[in-house]
Amino acid sequence: MRLHYIFIQLSNVAMIKREVGKDFTFYFICFLLLMIGNNINAQKISIHFQNKAGDKILQADSNYQNALGETFTVRNFKYYISNIVFYDSVKTQTYPDQYFLIDNADSASQQIELNTSLKNVTAIKFLLGVDSFKNVSGIQTGALDPAKGMFWTWNTGYVMAKLEGNSPSANMPQHAFSYHVGGYKQNEKTAKEIILQLPQKINCTNNCVITIQADILKWFNSAHEIKIATTPFCHEPGKLATILADNYSNMFSIESAK
Amino acid sequence: MKLTKTILLLFVLVVGAVSWIKSGDKKYKTHLLQFTIPQGWPQPVYDFKQNPVTQEGFDLGRKLFYDGRLSKDENFPCASCHQQYAAFATYDHNLSHGFNNSFTKRNAPPLFNLAWQKEFMWDGGVNHLDLQPLAPMTDSNEMGENLDSILLKLKADTAYRRMFKAAFGDDNITTQRMTRALSQFIVMMVSANSKYDRVMRGEDSFNLPQRLGYDIFKRKCESCHTEPLFTDFSYRNAGLMIDDYLKDVGRMKITHDANDSLKFKVPSLRNAQVTFPYGHDGRFYSLLQVMDHYRRDVVSGPTTDSLLKHGIPLSNFEIGQLMAFIYTLTDSSFLNDPRFAPPGYENRTQQKPLEHQHIYKQ
Repeated sequence: MRLHYIFIQLSNVAMIKREVGKDFTFYFICFLLLMIGNNINAQKISIHFQNKAGDKILQADSNYQNALGETFTVRNFKYYISNIVFYDSVKTQTYPDQYFLIDNADSASQQIELNTSLKNVTAIKFLLGVDSFKNVSGIQTGALDPAKGMFWTWNTGYVMAKLEGNSPSANMPQHAFSYHVGGYKQNEKTAKEIILQLPQKINCTNNCVITIQADILKWFNSAHEIKIATTPFCHEPGKLATILADNYSNMFSIESAK
Repeated sequence: MKLTKTILLLFVLVVGAVSWIKSGDKKYKTHLLQFTIPQGWPQPVYDFKQNPVTQEGFDLGRKLFYDGRLSKDENFPCASCHQQYAAFATYDHNLSHGFNNSFTKRNAPPLFNLAWQKEFMWDGGVNHLDLQPLAPMTDSNEMGENLDSILLKLKADTAYRRMFKAAFGDDNITTQRMTRALSQFIVMMVSANSKYDRVMRGEDSFNLPQRLGYDIFKRKCESCHTEPLFTDFSYRNAGLMIDDYLKDVGRMKITHDANDSLKFKVPSLRNAQVTFPYGHDGRFYSLLQVMDHYRRDVVSGPTTDSLLKHGIPLSNFEIGQLMAFIYTLTDSSFLNDPRFAPPGYENRTQQKPLEHQHIYKQ
């Protein structure tokens, strides 16, 4: 932006040489209008992730029950969202190199706001997790900073999603269960592409909001059955992680779009 | 006249504005360091474009490398297990010591020529040099710290804020900048000036045992310990009996492939004179024990390397010559390079370190 500013300033000087100082004000005002105009043009889409356990809002102090009858509480629930794409009837808009860490303990993290030039949005696609490219490209920063605790240091790779809590069924110290799901290599892939059709086309010229539910009960019972009693933890890439990933790929649905 | 003055005034204003806008960047002037590829060596794999080495970044990395505050109790800098006089391995330790009187599970590897290395650790679990330091920093039996708390300690220190600003343009201290600075320091550790290297460059010549040893090496060792790096970076089962306490399966821990059971990265033979003990768990205290393993004790299991199914036949005579050759891989100029010594070392003493001076007189 600064370069842009300097460039216009310099071209102003050239103009002034010919047109004398009186025109300077005119160009300066034009420039200001351009700046303001840029900001007005931006229309926004907000994505709101609402974490749930069945039809209840997910809260750290509540008890839930999975389809297998095991009761549990959830202490920690986090997941990466990346590679977002919006569709309208003809065009798409992509957001490469934007990564978001949704944290159930941090409500601000559950709102993603993006600029869009699309008029009508019909569907959204995103990756639950971090693409393999970022898993092999060295140290990252921002949401992908390994200090966020979603990274395996001994076997390079991101934890795509984390679900941790306690359950009387968990045969572990403090009856804790913890699923750290990651893996990006062939046969160990856990990043899942999610495509959600909106119930109706939404007009985004005056900003719009898509609310997406993430239902943790699907972790235990959707593509596969996961019993806390027999499988209380997952802390590395591999078979179990891919099974959990199959399950969490079913956890999203559109709650509303307007 | 009035017109000229107006133009002049505006021009001065614009120039002033531009220089004011730029003044924020003015102090950010780094000095690029040259990374020299030794003659006849392959291209390095480290991506210098992503992290160009500057004097400022190198100095910061050097300070970090020697700073105990990167560990939980502030006693374990990187340098506690990576000592220059041991070619940045742990001198005379099979396993290294970590936080809370713990032992590491594997022998600390020496650090040099890492710009040519794609994967790190004995099992190759870490896929980028910039990510490597995170493992020892956070492992409970090494530095035992968490990244947030390391960053907090660094942010609280004005010297670090100044150095991060000098290296990266502002005093924002992040994990990425921290490990990239460490990489800038470590990637410059090139060991390519041993007697062997001088002989290859035509500046020196082997004596008889060294020359005979080199011939034996080329026939019996070279296929894994490939020149000029003296490793082909592959993972192999060298026929070591599994330790029933450590139960270390090696590469299989990363790939979950039974074919990788008990495989470990082939270590470089450079500076082997000072990197004893040897083996992934440091079980061999001398080169002689390593030689005895290869000629006598190789365990032939399902994943034992096909080149080692029957061990390596070696006579006592051959072992003597091989040792003479391996000692020519000791790079005393690297072991004593003041650039890699603790910060401020240059100002403290003009003398070479007392330990291991004998290396000069080989």
